[in-house]
Amino acid sequence: MDVLFGDFADAQANRDGYQLSRTLSPDLPHDRLRALWKSCNAHDVKNVLKRNIQNSASGLNRLSHDETQGWVEVYYHYWKAVGELLALQEPSAKSPQASWTKVYEVWRDMLSGLIRGYNNHGFEAWTIPCLYVAGKHLRVFAIRADKERNNNNNSSFNAPGQNFQDDFDPESEQAQQLEDCARQLNRIFNLCLSDRAPLEESRKWGIYYVINLLFKTYFKLNSASLSKNILKALSAGRGDMPPLSAFPKSQQVTFKYYEGVLNFLEENYLEAEKHLTEAWGLCHRNAMRNKEMILTYLVPCHLITTHTLPTQKLLEPYPRLQKLFLPLSRCIKKGELHAFDLALQEGEDEFVKRRIYLTLERGRDVALRNLLRKVFIAGGFVEPAKEGEAPARRTRVPIAEFAAAISLGSQETIDDDEVECFLANMIYKGLMKGYIAREHGKVVLSKNGAFPGTGV
Amino acid sequence: MNASSMMPTWPNAPPPGAQPPYSVHYPSPAYTPVQVRQSFSQPYPPQSQYTVPHAYGPPQIPTPPQTNYAVNVNHTPSPPVPVVAQEPPKKKIDWPESVRNYVQRSFLPANLDESVSRPEMEAKLKETISQANDTGVMYTIDWDTMLLPQQMIKEERARARALQAAQAIQPPVQQYMAHSLRDTKSGDATPVSKKRKSSDLSDVDMSAASVPPWRNGSNRLEDRVTFSTSTEKRPTVEETPSKHMSKFQKQLEKRQKRFDGGYKSTYRSPSPPPVAGPVVGTCQTLEKRYLRLTSAPIPSMVRPEPVLRQTLELLKKKWKKEQNYSYICDQFKSMRQDLTVQRIRNDFTVEVYEIHARIALEKGDLGEYNQCQTQLRALYQLGLKGKPIEFKAYRILYFIHTANRTALNDALADLTTAEKEEKAIKHALNVRSALALGNYHRFFRLYLDTPNMGAYLMDMFAGRERLAALCNICKAYKPEVPLRFITEELGFESDADAAQFIIDYQGQHLLEDRPAGVAFLAGKAGQLFEGPRAAAFRRVDIKGQI
Repeated sequence: MDVLFGDFADAQANRDGYQLSRTLSPDLPHDRLRALWKSCNAHDVKNVLKRNIQNSASGLNRLSHDETQGWVEVYYHYWKAVGELLALQEPSAKSPQASWTKVYEVWRDMLSGLIRGYNNHGFEAWTIPCLYVAGKHLRVFAIRADKERNNNNNSSFNAPGQNFQDDFDPESEQAQQLEDCARQLNRIFNLCLSDRAPLEESRKWGIYYVINLLFKTYFKLNSASLSKNILKALSAGRGDMPPLSAFPKSQQVTFKYYEGVLNFLEENYLEAEKHLTEAWGLCHRNAMRNKEMILTYLVPCHLITTHTLPTQKLLEPYPRLQKLFLPLSRCIKKGELHAFDLALQEGEDEFVKRRIYLTLERGRDVALRNLLRKVFIAGGFVEPAKEGEAPARRTRVPIAEFAAAISLGSQETIDDDEVECFLANMIYKGLMKGYIAREHGKVVLSKNGAFPGTGV
Repeated sequence: MNASSMMPTWPNAPPPGAQPPYSVHYPSPAYTPVQVRQSFSQPYPPQSQYTVPHAYGPPQIPTPPQTNYAVNVNHTPSPPVPVVAQEPPKKKIDWPESVRNYVQRSFLPANLDESVSRPEMEAKLKETISQANDTGVMYTIDWDTMLLPQQMIKEERARARALQAAQAIQPPVQQYMAHSLRDTKSGDATPVSKKRKSSDLSDVDMSAASVPPWRNGSNRLEDRVTFSTSTEKRPTVEETPSKHMSKFQKQLEKRQKRFDGGYKSTYRSPSPPPVAGPVVGTCQTLEKRYLRLTSAPIPSMVRPEPVLRQTLELLKKKWKKEQNYSYICDQFKSMRQDLTVQRIRNDFTVEVYEIHARIALEKGDLGEYNQCQTQLRALYQLGLKGKPIEFKAYRILYFIHTANRTALNDALADLTTAEKEEKAIKHALNVRSALALGNYHRFFRLYLDTPNMGAYLMDMFAGRERLAALCNICKAYKPEVPLRFITEELGFESDADAAQFIIDYQGQHLLEDRPAGVAFLAGKAGQLFEGPRAAAFRRVDIKGQI
């Protein structure tokens, strides 16, 4: 307790929000948690807290009565949460009901205390890192509580208030706590968004941290689309919001990453690429895990937008990404259609899990393009019509030749109509220039750049 | 809602397993007094008023002990276990045989009275029994001669009527409950029901507007109210600081608390939150109109599983015979609701959802279909039997139709390697990949050879895929292709159909008669089909509600 309020006093004196937020951390060594819990009892805890808080600052920094009250509430719930955590760590007969759910609930009370503190007790904006700590751990506790409940396997029937529904909602039953957590985080979001104080002392500075937490939570809940509401609310209030670039870099990177992925999921590859590239550029160079996550989406983006593949060098530090992308890249490059199909199938589970399967699948177009291009090149040149002209490539290619190339890998013959269908797609998508003359069974390719962007 | 109302389900006797633990808590059925009072103040209370009180107070949903859940989860042709408990669990009561007989008697068809609704009866029953229990006379009352609840209610009405007429307020007169108390105490065990009827009628005027004596001591509504307010107002440690606050601040704080739910999270007394459990229905009618629930379900309006099974058979027959979709859909929705409120999740549940899903598919009601499919997915995950292959395939096709990439990705993630080899699923996956790669050739081959009822789904997006393919062809082929080629590539039934499709999009000028047949001038189409194509892909009504 003394240590805690020593730090509290320091933080108040320096107006250091991060230092203050550390006094609310549940991530303490066991013996410190224990010492904290034992330092008072349920009867006098509030008085002890009050005394400590009042004594912690003097002179100009002295907290107003209201503010003191607010902090007493917060630390009171913090102290209770510490108790619940301890009960989990040292299971005993005295506390047989210790559970993450309880930790979650007490922690949520603390968060409510904080929010009330801002609304009613005049907490100042520099203390917002406390909200970060509260929100961050709320999410962790929620996930643990859900897991614990699902392990106990009696989840589905414990949901009160679910009876008015015509059908039951399996997902919300599985992630009750996390859904509640999302609601709590939303409260923080609104608390920050709606602050009308001048920017220097505005809670708006907490917004991106909370948004990132919310995004994480929504993704975990499998409802990434809810993130769009946040983005909408954000862009509506963007006018009087500090620019993103004024926020800590870590928050910028995370935000840009999620913005990119959200666009990626909606197939807005151009937007996605823009945001992901920004995130990539801002990312700390040693944050390998983050960089890996960014590349997971940036590489497929590039494949779609520019038809380019990652270089060996880019992927070198990321063995996991190499495994993910290199086999496919190789097939695309060589135009090995069948091998591509196999590689895609091989990695399907992993691709699906990362939600890049449907995007990578479209790489087949590029592989096909490369294969057809080879056919075109293999066709060689025809005699120039007039003496002295440079020999031109043969631009009238029998469909049968393409068909042979396509079935080369799989050794399965496919019917000519389907080959034509592939070719029509290539032409329609602008990967190949020319037209199909069905009557003659030939493709007439453009003399200038039959395969745009590939040098032929 | 309460044990008594459950009784009529068991005309013979409760199942042996449920016999001893008729453990029912009647701690504070707080709402009953409210109800009665209404009937006093308003002579002919409309039906709805009787149900209103259910919305008050904690959800009065029976809470069978944990073990019963298992019974409902899997395989339950066995009748629902009528074990009912209510919070807060203070003491357990074993209902004596006499009480149970009394309840049973109340619901005998011969004794039912049309003017008294079921909820009213139940409320009255509950009031009577819990009163007897609270006053400790449960074992001494002669339940066999006790007035039935419908009779009590009728008398109450009569009294209220009389009150209005006479405008006279008379001192309270002892009534049925008191009568029987007196009777038993004095050892007078003669059957009094008949006599009482007449005597009570004569009492009517005198007893008008009286407060029944047993309610004087313990008005349970007030008990509850004072209880809850006292916990909230009790000067707890948490609240002491507020007395230093200014009045304004306090109000502000109060208002704030109301908004941010602070009351709930911080100032609640540590009493356990109301525990809601599944309802056990008692309704015996096969058909029931669907009504969206706005309050806790009433057991007498909910059909138990055995009844629902009969309902399903009936509906199947009706559907075959009448094909009245709006009726069937309504009936299925009410079935689903009954299943849900009773937490019945077994193979039968799956069957209900599967059949509803198929019917909805056939009728193109994608909204309902989607609801069923979502449930089915969860039910299959519980390991219940059914036709998961068939419905997982539909699911994929459905998400292709709604162009929901995220959900499609989820659907793919749901599949096991073995499932991917199943015919229906393989078909759906092939459809998906054909579309992803723009392989209309393959897509329309698959379209013409769809297993189960998948064609109903594919019909919904075949049109837009035809437009897409047509755009492709128009850009790629020069100068023309035979119309027959279009017919075959785009899966039309005949050349005429294909021509009609083209004409529908103002492409008549692209069709020309040739000696060898009609030609489609693909090279001249330009952007003709691009607009309709874009529109068709934009217009995916995700909800698909009709």
